[in-house]
Amino acid sequence: MATQTLAGRKKTGAPARAPRSSLRRQGWVTGVLMVLPYTIFFLLFSLIPILYGFGVSFYDWSLLGDKTFIGLQNYVNLMQDEEFHANLLNTVLFTAVSVPLITGAGLLLAVMVNSIRKGQAFLRISFFMPYVLSVSVISSIWVIFLQPYTGLLNRVLRGIGLIDSEIFWLSDSTLAWASIIMATLWWTIGFVFVLFLAGLQDIPESFYEAAGLEGANRWQTFRYITFPSLSRVTVLVVVLQTIASFKIFGQSKLITGGGPAGATKTVVFSIYENGFQTFQMGYASAIAFVLMLVILVISLLQTLLLRRFGE
Amino acid sequence: MLDRLYPYVVRIAAALFALLFLTPVFWMLSLSLTPEGGSLFAGGFNVSFDNYKTVLSRAPIFGWMGNSLVVSAVTTALVLLLASMAAYSFSRIRFPGSKVLFVLFLSAMMIPGEATLIPLYLLMRDVDLLGTRVSLILPAIAGPMGIFILKQFFDGLPKDLEEAARIDGAGFFKIWYRIFLPLSRPALAALGIFTFIGSWNDYVWPLISISDKAYMTITLGLPMFQSSYNQEYALPMTANALAAIPVLIVFLIFQKQIIKGIAFTGGKEM
Repeated sequence: MATQTLAGRKKTGAPARAPRSSLRRQGWVTGVLMVLPYTIFFLLFSLIPILYGFGVSFYDWSLLGDKTFIGLQNYVNLMQDEEFHANLLNTVLFTAVSVPLITGAGLLLAVMVNSIRKGQAFLRISFFMPYVLSVSVISSIWVIFLQPYTGLLNRVLRGIGLIDSEIFWLSDSTLAWASIIMATLWWTIGFVFVLFLAGLQDIPESFYEAAGLEGANRWQTFRYITFPSLSRVTVLVVVLQTIASFKIFGQSKLITGGGPAGATKTVVFSIYENGFQTFQMGYASAIAFVLMLVILVISLLQTLLLRRFGE
Repeated sequence: MLDRLYPYVVRIAAALFALLFLTPVFWMLSLSLTPEGGSLFAGGFNVSFDNYKTVLSRAPIFGWMGNSLVVSAVTTALVLLLASMAAYSFSRIRFPGSKVLFVLFLSAMMIPGEATLIPLYLLMRDVDLLGTRVSLILPAIAGPMGIFILKQFFDGLPKDLEEAARIDGAGFFKIWYRIFLPLSRPALAALGIFTFIGSWNDYVWPLISISDKAYMTITLGLPMFQSSYNQEYALPMTANALAAIPVLIVFLIFQKQIIKGIAFTGGKEM
């Protein structure tokens, strides 16, 4: 019955639509023309560079010298390059520490702020404000903030009796990473915080009323109502944070200069140094390609996870 | 007992965290308003703008901010224009192959900008654009995020909106700028804010492309200026304050829209 009606409609619809087919073609032309400007930029500054970069990664190419095809040699060298391994490990460790920390802290702040009505705007502004500053500004603030003797952090720690000798934050590799993580937390938590806050405000009040009727306590409400309702946002935040952490460069370049003794160099730092300080274009391209693969894998994992948790 | 105290504990903790978060910014302002080695609160409340005068005489801070403003504004305007056109086409016109093209753009969202630094450098060098402000704008427009976000928004707009205009003989292009653009102002604003902040804060690509001081953005010029000061903090901190104050003022005025915009775009990302 239903198919019959559909077929009938199709039949009666067909002659009516026939004269419009020229309009439809016009529509296609407009459609193509409207996509075209962006497509040109996409080809020139995204697709072609990627393919070109992939091609370059098979060459030994110092910018000033010759360009020789060496096949997979750059990738083979990459597997034996201890400095690259160290930088990759640094990046992975930074990601492993900063992502749970910033995600957890962002969630905590969002849950706190969500339960406060009076003064919520002030809290939102305070936590989000550092995010609008540039990496240069926040890095410089933190470098000065962390100075021994003159920096505010050491002075406060000494003032409240937590330390009795100066901490040289940027001279020890662990402390240097701690500094970068603190600065990154301060700078980017606002982003995580507003995503969670928006997620919290989307949870229907009725969920909580039901939990209240069941006599759930605060922790149980969070564990069984709030947190599961945020699963989509959480996956999104974790993935965005993971990708951003993998690409860390500015903080390490500007806060520690990669030091002490290269301890805070990262993967993008490797691209920067090999590409623009020793001008090994092929080798740097190989590193960039590895970075891209890692990020592709994370993105695909996200798609899978979102399909499981979302909707 | 603990349950009754809970709201107060949360309020106090939140207030403390907020103070902690604001401290570096206040400290920046306080250092910038006092001579090197001095303290804002030593011997009364002595405010001096000498540091600001010195920094402005030694570094083209306003020129750098002007460059940042031009680069970010042009980038944002072009992203909004091109992305909204393409998103409209993908959402409403659907020419043959449009789905494939959209998926291609979508998958490009997974590609990090850092992966194209080397080829972009080589290509820009070949066409003599390296070191120009244009070189900062062009790659930023190629990001597909805007299309994705706006297409989602356009898909949610009711179809009968344009039916009436279609009957009146309006073409697709006219419908885009007469109906879709005005209706999607919140989404455009959100995307605009996101794009502008991203462009303003871009560091690694300007670092590679720009070497002439005159074309530097503030994000690039600031650390260069500060690197000549080792044991002094008042002047570098004043430079930070100069770079931060306009941004903070704009943020405080539009904080509601900015936070909403970031939550909207960030939540839609990927």
